[in-house]
Amino acid sequence: MSDEAVAEARRPAATLPATETPADPVSAAAGATAPARPPFAQVVREHLDRLYGFCLRLSESPADAEDLLQESLVRGMRAYPELHDPHRARGWLFAIATNVWRDQLRTRGRRVQTTSLDGMGEDDDDFSLFQTIAVEDPFPYSDELHLDFLRLFRDEDVRAVFGSINPLFRLPLILTVVHGFSCKEAAAVLGVPLGTLLSRLHRGRKQLERGLWEYALANGLVTRMDEP
Amino acid sequence: MIDCREAVRRMWSYLEHALTADTEAELEAHLDTCVRCCGELEFSRHLRELVATSEGVPAMPPEVRARIERILVAGDRPATETAP
Repeated sequence: MSDEAVAEARRPAATLPATETPADPVSAAAGATAPARPPFAQVVREHLDRLYGFCLRLSESPADAEDLLQESLVRGMRAYPELHDPHRARGWLFAIATNVWRDQLRTRGRRVQTTSLDGMGEDDDDFSLFQTIAVEDPFPYSDELHLDFLRLFRDEDVRAVFGSINPLFRLPLILTVVHGFSCKEAAAVLGVPLGTLLSRLHRGRKQLERGLWEYALANGLVTRMDEP
Repeated sequence: MIDCREAVRRMWSYLEHALTADTEAELEAHLDTCVRCCGELEFSRHLRELVATSEGVPAMPPEVRARIERILVAGDRPATETAP
């Protein structure tokens, strides 16, 4: 897509639908004439590695991630005049990438699972990894039982579990835990109320906890007390 | 006074500094009297660190960076330069 993206980047922004990019409400409310500001490329480079990492976590392959990043940058480039405060570029860029990702899913006829809000039953909500480790006691002679459990996991193990979380709940975790957005900022990136963000964050955490325990069992990292 | 179940529900929001002053005070009052929940809070901190470290921010491959740079440079170029 690279050559197409380059051509797209050079196209004027006159026909860009207003709904394609997130608004910058603070800047818009200020209503002042924007002072001279850095070019788009300069603003983006500061956030490029994190934005790529975000795209990679949203995508199923590095090629899809690059497509997502390119489309996000093209869309951002055309909407850049609407961003009155370049200091807000990080959240703005992540919001654009999220919207592009949603659009791509829609184009491919796929949706993020949102049923039974959001696809998690009571069992997940009641599951406590902390409690399960204490009860199952996989390391009877350990002074640091819970930490020893976490030490079982290599990076690729955690990524495998993390990748299995419903994207609806994984996104808030990625934004807050991995990229350091505040919950308020993450809610703005995703375009949801803060309460919704907090609820999804909790559900993501619960899916993560259950996922880690089930992964540990399935891969022989721990054995249950009643197993031989 | 909130119970352990509610305290656990609030823990990650607490770690994100996303609780209101009232709900945060209720959680802290519970933590003052509950060793188990203090342990779970500490475990939650470690769990978040594990995710942050494992997920991390992967390095962008040089060939990808080169392609992205082409797009950025093209976008910042004045339109008159590209007109036929």
